[in-house]
Amino acid sequence: MGESDPDDELLSRVAEGDPAAVRALVARKLPRLLSLGGRMLGDAQEAEDVAQDAFLRVWKQAPRWKPGAARFDTWLHRVALNLCYDRLRKRRERPQAEPPDRPDEGPGPDRGLLASDTGRRVNAALQALPERQREAVVLCHYQDLGNIEAAAAMGVSVEALESLLGRGRRTLRAALADLREP
Amino acid sequence: MNRDRFQTLAEAYGGELHRWPAAEQAAAAAFAAADPAWSRACLAEASALDALLDAASGPAVRGALADRIAAGAPLPGRGRRPRVWWLPAGLGAGLAAACAVGLLVGVQLGDRATQNQAVSTAVADSEASLDFGGDA
Repeated sequence: MGESDPDDELLSRVAEGDPAAVRALVARKLPRLLSLGGRMLGDAQEAEDVAQDAFLRVWKQAPRWKPGAARFDTWLHRVALNLCYDRLRKRRERPQAEPPDRPDEGPGPDRGLLASDTGRRVNAALQALPERQREAVVLCHYQDLGNIEAAAAMGVSVEALESLLGRGRRTLRAALADLREP
Repeated sequence: MNRDRFQTLAEAYGGELHRWPAAEQAAAAAFAAADPAWSRACLAEASALDALLDAASGPAVRGALADRIAAGAPLPGRGRRPRVWWLPAGLGAGLAAACAVGLLVGVQLGDRATQNQAVSTAVADSEASLDFGGDA
C-alpha cells in the first residue's frame, strides 16, 4: 500500500476519545455504510442496523488499528459485507418469513430508498442478481472502490472480481433493456 | 490492449475510464485514441447502464441515527480496568505473591506474548473475514 490512508489520523483521534473525531468519522462513513447495506439488502431499516453494528466494531477496533496494515475503508466494507451476509443467510434459513428474491419495492414515508419508477426497477434488478455479482457491482459502481480494493473487500482475486462484474452488469443490462433510450 | 480487452473492461467497469483498473487506464486511453469510433460506441453502451444504475439512489442519512451511533463510541479511559479496592487485605498478600510468580512466568513467555499480539491482530482482522456461500 503506497499511499497513506486518509482515515488513519481520524482513527487515532477516535481511539483517544475525541468526540469531534467520532462525529467526523460517522459523517464520513455512515452514508457509505447505508449505501452498501441498502443495496446489498434492499431494505433501509436493515441497512441502518448494519451501519450501527459496523460502527460498534469500529469503536472496538480503533485503539488497535495499525496504520499501514490495511486501508480502513476496505476493512470497514469487509466488516459491513460480513454483517450483510449474516442477514442474507438468516433470510435463506427463514424463507417463509421474508423471501430472499423479493426486492424492496419502494420507500415508505421515512425511507430513503428511491421513489422514481426507474430507480425502483434498478433496485429490483439489483436485488435479483446473485449475491456475489450484486456485491461486485455495489462495491465498484456505488461505493466507487477501485478493483484492487473491491477484490480485497470481497476476498477474491481481481480476475474473479472482473468476472463477477461483467456477469452482473450483463444481467442488469438485459433486465433493464426496456428502460434504455432508443 | 485490443478490442476484446477494451470491451471486457467496459462491460465490467462501465463507461468511464477513471473507474477502470489503474494499471490499464493509460493503455485504454491510447487505444481509444487510435480506434475512436469503435471505442466511443463501446463506452456509450457501458455508460448507458451506468446512467440507469445512477437512477437508484441509496438510503438517506437521518440525523438521529448519526447521533445514536456517535453516542455509542467509548469515552477515553472508560471501562478498561476492573476495580479491586474492595478486596480483603488477606487476599491482597496472596495477590502480591501471585503477581511475583506471574512476573517470572511472564518473562519466559515474553516471546510468546509477541506472537500472541500478532495473533490478536489476526483475530481482530478475522472479524472482517467473510463467510461466503456459493458463488453465483
